[in-house]
Amino acid sequence: MEQLKTIGRELAMGSQGGFGQSKEFLDLIKSIGETRSKAEEDRIVLREIETLKSRLSSPNTPKFKLKEYLIRLLYVEMLGHDASFGYIHAVKMTHDENLLLKRTGYLAVTLFLNEDHDLIILIVNTIQKDLKSDNYLVVCAALNAVCRLINEETIPAVLPQVVELLGHQKETVRKKAVMALHRFYQRAPGSVSHLISNFRKRLCDNDPGVMGATLCPLFDLIMTDVDSYKDLVISFVNILKQVAERRLPKSYDYHQMPAPFVQIKLLKILSLLGSGDKKASEQIYTIVGDIIRKSDSTSNIGNAILYECICCVSSLHPNPKLLEAAADAISKFLKSDSHNLKYLGIDALSRLIKISPEIAEQHQLAVIDCLEDPDDTLKRKTFELLYKMTKSSNVEVIVDRMINYMISINDSHYKTEIASRCVELAEQFAPSNQWFIQTMNKVFEHAGDLVNSKVAHNLMRLIAEGFGEDDDAVDSQLRSSAVESYLQIMGEPKLPSAFLQSCILVLCVCVCGLFNFFIYLFYRSFVGSWGNMGLQMENILPHILPGNCVTWQRLIRQMT
Amino acid sequence: MGIRFVLMVNKQGQTRLAQYYEYLNLEERRALEGEIVRKCLARNEHQCSFVEHRNYKVVYRRYASLFFLVGVDNEENELAILEFIHLLVETMDRHFGNVCELDIMFHLEKAHFMLEEMVMNGCIVETSKSSILSPIQLMEKAS
Repeated sequence: MEQLKTIGRELAMGSQGGFGQSKEFLDLIKSIGETRSKAEEDRIVLREIETLKSRLSSPNTPKFKLKEYLIRLLYVEMLGHDASFGYIHAVKMTHDENLLLKRTGYLAVTLFLNEDHDLIILIVNTIQKDLKSDNYLVVCAALNAVCRLINEETIPAVLPQVVELLGHQKETVRKKAVMALHRFYQRAPGSVSHLISNFRKRLCDNDPGVMGATLCPLFDLIMTDVDSYKDLVISFVNILKQVAERRLPKSYDYHQMPAPFVQIKLLKILSLLGSGDKKASEQIYTIVGDIIRKSDSTSNIGNAILYECICCVSSLHPNPKLLEAAADAISKFLKSDSHNLKYLGIDALSRLIKISPEIAEQHQLAVIDCLEDPDDTLKRKTFELLYKMTKSSNVEVIVDRMINYMISINDSHYKTEIASRCVELAEQFAPSNQWFIQTMNKVFEHAGDLVNSKVAHNLMRLIAEGFGEDDDAVDSQLRSSAVESYLQIMGEPKLPSAFLQSCILVLCVCVCGLFNFFIYLFYRSFVGSWGNMGLQMENILPHILPGNCVTWQRLIRQMT
Repeated sequence: MGIRFVLMVNKQGQTRLAQYYEYLNLEERRALEGEIVRKCLARNEHQCSFVEHRNYKVVYRRYASLFFLVGVDNEENELAILEFIHLLVETMDRHFGNVCELDIMFHLEKAHFMLEEMVMNGCIVETSKSSILSPIQLMEKAS
C-alpha cells in the first residue's frame, strides 16, 4: 500500500514539468529514504556533494535548476554534512525577482547561516529593497528573513522601513512587522524603547492575527516591567472575553475551541499582571472563572486551557471560589489514565501548594502513585512537588525517598540537582542532629563528588564546633557516632575522593578529643591545600598529642 | 518565549525537517537530534509525551514512522505544544492531502514555508489554517 502510494506520487510528480522536481532529485530522495545504515547514507550524501559542487560551479544554470540544487544542499546539511561551498548561491537566489525563487533563497539562507555570519551583510541590501516592494508577498518574505537574520548591528538598516510597515494595508504584513519589531527588542531592547507604543496600538488591530502576534512582544515587555502595563489589564480581559465568546473568525477554531493558543497567551499575560496585585487580580477573576466553567475536559486542547487557568489562579491574589475550582480540576487530572494529564496535575498541585498547603494531603495517594510510576518524566515532576511539600513533619520520609531516587539517576547534571535539594531540605528541616549527620553522610557517599565542597566543610565545622547541645555527653556521643560511621565508610573500596577528605578531617577532629579546638584551627588555616595540611599535621601533631600519634600517622598515610 | 526548535525525525534517526530558533552548529545539531530521538524511542505510548532534556523540555508526538519533536522552555504549556504539533500536521494534511513522510521529503521547502508562517522568533504566531496556507497557495499560483 505504501509502495503504491509512492509510485502514484512519483508519477504525479513526473508529470508536473516546469519547476517540478527532476528525476535526479526524485532518485536522491528515494535513495535517502531507502538507506539502511548511516554508512550507506553518508556515501550517498558525499556523492551528492561532489555532484552539487560541479553543478553549482558551472555557469548558465537555469534558475529553477539552481533552486533544486539549493534544496538538495539543504538535505546535505540536514543529514549532517557541511554544505558551506554552496552558501553563496543561496545568497544570490535571494536577489531573484521570482517570488518562489526569492523565498527559497531566503529560506536556505536562514537555515544555513547564523545571524553573525559574514555573508549576512550581502543580504541586508536585498532585504531593504524587498521591504519596499509593491508585492506584499515579497515584503512578507523579507520580514521573515528579518526575524532570522537581523542582529544588533544591522537593526538600524531596516528599522525605519519596518516601523512604516506596521501600518500596511495587508494584515499579514502588519503581523510580520510586529514580529520584526519584537526581534529588534530581543536583540537590542534599547533600539526600540521609543517605539513601544506601537505594540499597544497593534493590540487593538482589527485583524485577530495581528492582535495575536502582538501578544508575543507584549508578554516579554510585561515580564521585564510589569508595572508599566497594569493599565492594560482591562483590555486583555476584554480581548480574552471576546475570544472565549467566539467572536473571532471560525478559522481560528481548533477542535471546537475558539483560538485556544491565543487564549493561553492571554492567560499567561494576565498571570503576570495579576501576580501579587489584589486590585488587578479582582479584574481577572470573572473571566478566568468563566473559562474554567466552560472548559472542555474531553479534548487535549480543552485541558491545556484548563491547566493554563489553574496556573493563572495560582499566580493571582487568592480567591477561594477559584481555588476550589482549580482543586477540582486537579483532582480530575490526577485521576485520569492519561500520563500527560497526571503530569499537569502534579505540576498544578505544586503551584497551588504555597497558597493552599492542605491540598497536597488530599491527593497523597495519587502523588505516591506517580512517584512509583516507571515513567521518568512523571517521577521527576513528582519529586519537584515533594520538594515543595517538605516540612519538619514529613522531611524524613521525603528525603529518604529522594536519596534512593538520587542513587538511581545516571545523568550527573540531574543527580547534582537532586543531591543539592536533599542537602537543602536536610539543612532546613532536620528533626535531629543525629538524623542530619546520617543523611548528609548518605548524600556524600553517593554523590560526594557532585555536591558543593562548601557543604562538606559546613558539615565538618558543625561536628567540630559541636551542635550547641547543652549536654556535653550528648555532643561527644554525636561525634563518636559520626566517627564510627566515617570509619565504616572509609573501609569501602570505591569512594569519591572529596568525601574521603571530609571523612579524614572529621576523624582528625574527633579522635583528638580535648584538642579538637587545636585541630580545628589547623583545619581552618589549611583548608585550601590538603597536601600541605597533611605534611604539617604529620610533623607537628605527634608532638602535641603523643598518646594519639599512632592513630594520626595511620590516618595520614591512608589519605596521601 | 518559547520554542527552541522543531524537528521531524523518523524512527531510524534520519532527520526529515529541522528548524532551529536558537542557533546550533552542525555538530551540535547532530548530537542533539540523535540524543533526543533515542530518548523518545525508549518511551512507550502510555508515558508522558514530554521529556526533560538538559535545561529545557522536548514535547514529542509520533505519526506513523515520523517523530515530531519540539524543544521548549520550561515555562511553556506542554499540552498546548502537543496540540500545536497536531495543528501543524493538520495544516500539512490540508495542503498535501493525507500527508506522509514522503510528502515532506519531496516538498521540504513547502513544509518549511508553512512552519515559517506559524512560528516566528520562537513564538506561535499564526494558528488559522487558511492564513497559514494562503501565502503558499498564492505563491504556487504566481509561479
